Amino acid sequence: MKTITKLATAAVLGTTLGTAAVAQELYVPNLAYRTGPFAATGIPLMNGQADYFTMLNERDGGIGGLTVNAEECETGYSTEKGVECYEKTKGKAIVTQPWSTGITLQVLPKTNVDEIPILAPGYGFSPMADGTVFQWAFNMPAGYWDAASMIVQYLEEEGSLEGKKVAFLHLDHPYGKEPLPLLETLSENKGFELLPIPVGLKEMQNQSAQWLQIRRERPDYVVMWGWGAMNAGAITEAVKTKFPMENFIGVWWAGHDADLRLVGEDGKGYKSISWSFPNLEAPVMQDIREHVIDAGLSNTNPEESSGVFYSRGIVISAILAEGIRTAQEEYGTAEIDAAQLRWGLENINMTEERITELGLDGMVPPFSTSCANHTGHSGGWMLEWDGEQFVKVSDLMNANTDTYQDLISAKATEYADENAPWPTNEECSATN
Amino acid sequence: MLYDFLIQPFVDMATAPDFFLQVLWEGLVSGVLYALIALGFVLIFRSSRIFNFAQGIMVVFAALTLVGLHAMGVPAWIAVALTLAVMFVLAVTIERVVLRPLVGQPDIILFMATIGITLFLIGLGETIFGGENKVMISEELGIPTGDTVLEPWGGLLILQHLDITVVVVATLLVAGLLAFLNYTQMGRAIRALGDDHQAALSVGISLQTIWVLVWFIAGIIALVTGIAWGARAGVSFALEVIAYKALPVLMLGGLESITGAIVGGLMIGMLEKLFEIYWGQPFLGGNTETWFAFVLALIVLLFRPQGLFGERIIERV
Amino acid sequence: MLYRTAGQFKTSYTADQALFPVRQDAILLGVILVFAYLIFPLTASEFAFQTLLIPILIYALAAMGLNILTGYAGQLSLGTGAFMGVGAYACYKLITIFPWMNPIVAILLSGVFSAGVGVVFGIPSLRIKGFYLAIATLAAQFFLVWLFEKWAWLYNYNASGAIQVPNLDIFGLYVSGPQAASVTQYYLVLGVVTLMSILCINLTRGNLGRTWKATRDMDIAAELIGINLMRSKLVAFAISSYIVGVAGALYVFMWKGAAEPNVFDIPLSFQVLFIAIIGGLGSILGNYLGAILIVGLPVVLNLVPSALGLPISSAMVEHLNVMIVGGLIIFFLIVEPHGLAQLWRLIREKLIIWPFPH
Repeated sequence: MKTITKLATAAVLGTTLGTAAVAQELYVPNLAYRTGPFAATGIPLMNGQADYFTMLNERDGGIGGLTVNAEECETGYSTEKGVECYEKTKGKAIVTQPWSTGITLQVLPKTNVDEIPILAPGYGFSPMADGTVFQWAFNMPAGYWDAASMIVQYLEEEGSLEGKKVAFLHLDHPYGKEPLPLLETLSENKGFELLPIPVGLKEMQNQSAQWLQIRRERPDYVVMWGWGAMNAGAITEAVKTKFPMENFIGVWWAGHDADLRLVGEDGKGYKSISWSFPNLEAPVMQDIREHVIDAGLSNTNPEESSGVFYSRGIVISAILAEGIRTAQEEYGTAEIDAAQLRWGLENINMTEERITELGLDGMVPPFSTSCANHTGHSGGWMLEWDGEQFVKVSDLMNANTDTYQDLISAKATEYADENAPWPTNEECSATN
Repeated sequence: MLYDFLIQPFVDMATAPDFFLQVLWEGLVSGVLYALIALGFVLIFRSSRIFNFAQGIMVVFAALTLVGLHAMGVPAWIAVALTLAVMFVLAVTIERVVLRPLVGQPDIILFMATIGITLFLIGLGETIFGGENKVMISEELGIPTGDTVLEPWGGLLILQHLDITVVVVATLLVAGLLAFLNYTQMGRAIRALGDDHQAALSVGISLQTIWVLVWFIAGIIALVTGIAWGARAGVSFALEVIAYKALPVLMLGGLESITGAIVGGLMIGMLEKLFEIYWGQPFLGGNTETWFAFVLALIVLLFRPQGLFGERIIERV
Repeated sequence: MLYRTAGQFKTSYTADQALFPVRQDAILLGVILVFAYLIFPLTASEFAFQTLLIPILIYALAAMGLNILTGYAGQLSLGTGAFMGVGAYACYKLITIFPWMNPIVAILLSGVFSAGVGVVFGIPSLRIKGFYLAIATLAAQFFLVWLFEKWAWLYNYNASGAIQVPNLDIFGLYVSGPQAASVTQYYLVLGVVTLMSILCINLTRGNLGRTWKATRDMDIAAELIGINLMRSKLVAFAISSYIVGVAGALYVFMWKGAAEPNVFDIPLSFQVLFIAIIGGLGSILGNYLGAILIVGLPVVLNLVPSALGLPISSAMVEHLNVMIVGGLIIFFLIVEPHGLAQLWRLIREKLIIWPFPH
């Protein structure tokens, strides 16, 4: 009997939750991770995301008059929990934010059937850029292939890469492998030698073997696709092995202030490509300080809130809010549904003017999306650690998207074929 | 192909001896830390037949407590003392709440209970301290940071002062522990309990006291390991995985043997590094450190089922 | 009262050894089956299917496989997760190499591969015992997960290194992939799990089961009375790994839909081991009870604060959840080290003799 009652209560609980009445609010759940081995990088992002929506609610009373409910569902970066959270929230959610490449890969096919937009800003699956195939998936403002392309561009500015050796230090996980296809193509075209060095999930904190390899191979540059505890480990090892920091470049997820603060001055010169920048003078930062932090509604602390990741969280929420606003204007209703939000996300036009209007000056590069282009390819800035904080050391850079447009469509089609029948967007006539 | 695999790596070692030494040194430092964690396991296993899976999380918990207390404004060395007090309270609690009711249960049940403790401590640690990566208070504790660069054979050998300190402190700790076990009454009681439970009980050794004591010693070892690893890579819950590395060390050295834990730790630390650098990375795509130690230990076990230094397993019907 | 055995007389040895010596057991099982086959599928929400019903069944199956090895044959294994992975990858390769293959056949066949791998890693058990063997199975665990990562052929050279389940159909009805309905997947899983349970019950009650138990209780004594230890242990490894492999294939194909190698890493092994031990070693029923507790409870616990309207952040809920699960494991081990199955056995015993205390 015990079995049955238990299962029955569980089932009942599940049903009631699944069919709860839609409240008068915009429900944008976030599959956050504030626990587990990746929490260190998750927390500032989640705080930034939450604080922006709190600020909108406090300052403007939400978006279009409706309050935003940015409830978090804790995943601990585990795919299992992620799927649980997705199922739990999808009933009334108008968007899902999976926050890990693993969860994204699992939720991606489901969203196509459930018809919920999946917002994976700056992560996820690079071919998601092809909006005609991945109708419901968005990873604006830039994808991993954009990052790889910009990093290679930056390296080229320092001199031809012909005959050089570039080590690619990455997490041995779908996330870390994501830019490999593009880097391989680029290495053929530009004539540099690519040396992939994987770091296992269990080796994140103990990378001496990888850095010994780097010492033996003597690469000219090290490009890092790291996450969580791996970044801190890599940066401390780099300092230990006396690898010249100015030749060490990370993706945007490998540019967390706290990781660099571990080594302080020794980390000077470390670079990270980024599509967001913590401009503490930007009006939106002031508003958040006034309406959220000073009002005691935030979990953040002063050190964290001046960092790159916190401000990136703000930018992510701002992009989502912009998508919601676009959809509200188009459909003339504040209470938009998932399909309407998809239209909104497909028609974001973040011009310089709009960025200033939103008070995000200098925090995000301009970009725009279309039904065919779900990434926006905003480009980004090269940030450098000056011993205390990250500073911009380049003008706005743009990825050479032309060089891998074919790769995007090819991989997208491949995915659609493998998952046939996979409905694509036939109506979309725009090209990238 | 065969030449590449069997001869070339040794040629590489001989042609770049400075690099070879560096690899050995790195292996030695990790080996010392593996040995420390394994030592915690062995002490508990000897005296209570408990395979204490929670040793890994105790490392994290101790380091977090230390950093957390310091963040609250407690001076570094007082924080160390307080952390030791916390570890003592933890030892007493575990003995009272978990171990005492489970006396006499099969080994696997006790093993499961320690996994239960692990989960509980993860949850507790995250509730109290949060999941952020924290910086170990190396400076306040007077841990040196710089490095010494040697140039043997015109090459390059970088020795971190931190690593040297770790090796020295670990050696002192082990020496102190051995002295404690051999020359004090308490220590001899622990060894007696390890040798024969019944006999030890019958001469009046208190099981409860000894259990609290070994868990507390394991806590001290955890704190030292936590400081060392934390100073190298920051303090976060990802540290927990290093506990797995102690398992092959135990297999190789033998579950009951203190010598085994030390020798096994050093052997595994160095061999896995050598294998990864000279064979793993060139031929197998790298990351062989995840399994090399286990496979090595497995092969050794096939010849010596009780490990290199373990007690002979004698079975009677 | 409910379990009064008065009037149920056994007149032959066969009747006394029957699977259900007490009639009420059969009725209770019937009720549970009615719930499982009819009532749950009709009433459950998508959420209940995806986070409770399907995973509980799959985890129970994996635990059953482990229980054959650990609970019946006495060989402690910490490599269950990796063997599930072997099943999942085998199934993926079968499906992609032979796209015409019936998915159910592919799932059942994939267990054969994990059985083979299981036997290879079971060979050390002939020499190594107890905790040493447990750590030795960790060698399988770590090596196999590493192999899933490095052997690109296994995931068809996919750039992300993950496997993605395609849409597969049986006679036009989608059973896996994003197009499949949860109900279909549930019935398929339920069917396979029922089949495997019947198989396990019969195996463990038969000659093989007794051989295993003798090996478990004292292998030297078993050898002396003429049991071929090598055969007994390796068969246990093979059958156990087969079931675990099938569970792994179901895990990815019927539930997760995609998997990267580290999904099969050690936490999965521990999860399954918890279920087997909390449920009760050496019991088939225990696997289900354990799975309900270990898989179902955290999901339900997660719902409690929002259902009660408590203002706790979801991260805090997760922290508390981990603590509660850890605490419960210790609690159940202390209260009943032989698991929930033993607890049920005691309750049933009490019910039979009710209202008399002894």
